[in-house]
Amino acid sequence: MRKSLSIIVIILFGIFLSLIAIDLTFGVPDNTGMDDYFIQNGQEQIATNNIVTTVVFDYRGFDTLGESTVLFTAVIGVALMYRKLIKGDADENE
Amino acid sequence: MIETIIHVLVIAGLVVSAILVFYFRDLLAAALASGLFSFLISLEFYILQAPDVAVSQAGIGAGLTTAIFILAIRSTKRYEEDV
Amino acid sequence: MRMSKIVRFSADMLFGAILIFGFYIIMHGHLTPGGGFQGGAVVATGAALVIVAYSYEEVLGMIKKAGLMLQESAGLVMFAGVALIAIGLGTTFFFNFLANSGSLFGMSVPYGPNSGELNTAGVLPLMNIAVGIEVWGGLAIVILYMLSGISKAEEV
Repeated sequence: MRKSLSIIVIILFGIFLSLIAIDLTFGVPDNTGMDDYFIQNGQEQIATNNIVTTVVFDYRGFDTLGESTVLFTAVIGVALMYRKLIKGDADENE
Repeated sequence: MIETIIHVLVIAGLVVSAILVFYFRDLLAAALASGLFSFLISLEFYILQAPDVAVSQAGIGAGLTTAIFILAIRSTKRYEEDV
Repeated sequence: MRMSKIVRFSADMLFGAILIFGFYIIMHGHLTPGGGFQGGAVVATGAALVIVAYSYEEVLGMIKKAGLMLQESAGLVMFAGVALIAIGLGTTFFFNFLANSGSLFGMSVPYGPNSGELNTAGVLPLMNIAVGIEVWGGLAIVILYMLSGISKAEEV
């Protein structure tokens, strides 16, 4: 009973995702104003050939700063947790 | 034509490696099959013309995640037990 | 506990190649696909290979924890510092003050598809290097702390 129910749920979810995927079109977005601006002016303003890097580090640089901060905070959290767990390691490199 | 064949092969490999992860009782082999899954997904990203995502998927998914799994298996048991 | 001689030899052989490939991705972040985050992740993969293959005491002889921590902090400080220099020059935060200036990384590129030049893109290579250093140190030290958890716990 439980097994057949889970199989039905999986099949229904697969049909749901396939219906979404059939409707999608790749490479033809609806609103292209921002993309066209980046592609037209990126090489002239920032002097970069890689448009993706131009967007990530220059036009949306503040976003990347937040991303780096998230990574930094996560690593600090892991380091703190392991220092608390392992006795004798805390005064090793202080 | 040749692109379609490669595409179908990669997707078939994805399904096979995902089933292998479920099938293996040896956890180290399961971790390596999960690494193979990540590598094939990175190949799929490259075929779909997203090389940025492909590089980060190959580095983090296939490299670092497998390393963390192997470290976890080294400190616990290698074989799964029947409950 | 460390892995077999075959694993250790393969790790030694592959480490240099992975390191060079990661540095290539970081340095050519403004020309080819990739960038600071991807290149840093690739370099950290090389470090993780060595960390997985050797025991904790041997790894501590090769890699210093304080060095990796310093590397991570220096990367974030350098990234924010390059963005803050633009304020000091009287422009906005994150302004690309080196692009098309003719000095360091200051060549301009023509419009359209071309092969590109390494000496372009202004502050973007500096930011790529900063993010690459930060991601390298951060991801490597996470793996190193997990290995330190094994050595102190009981080995089964």
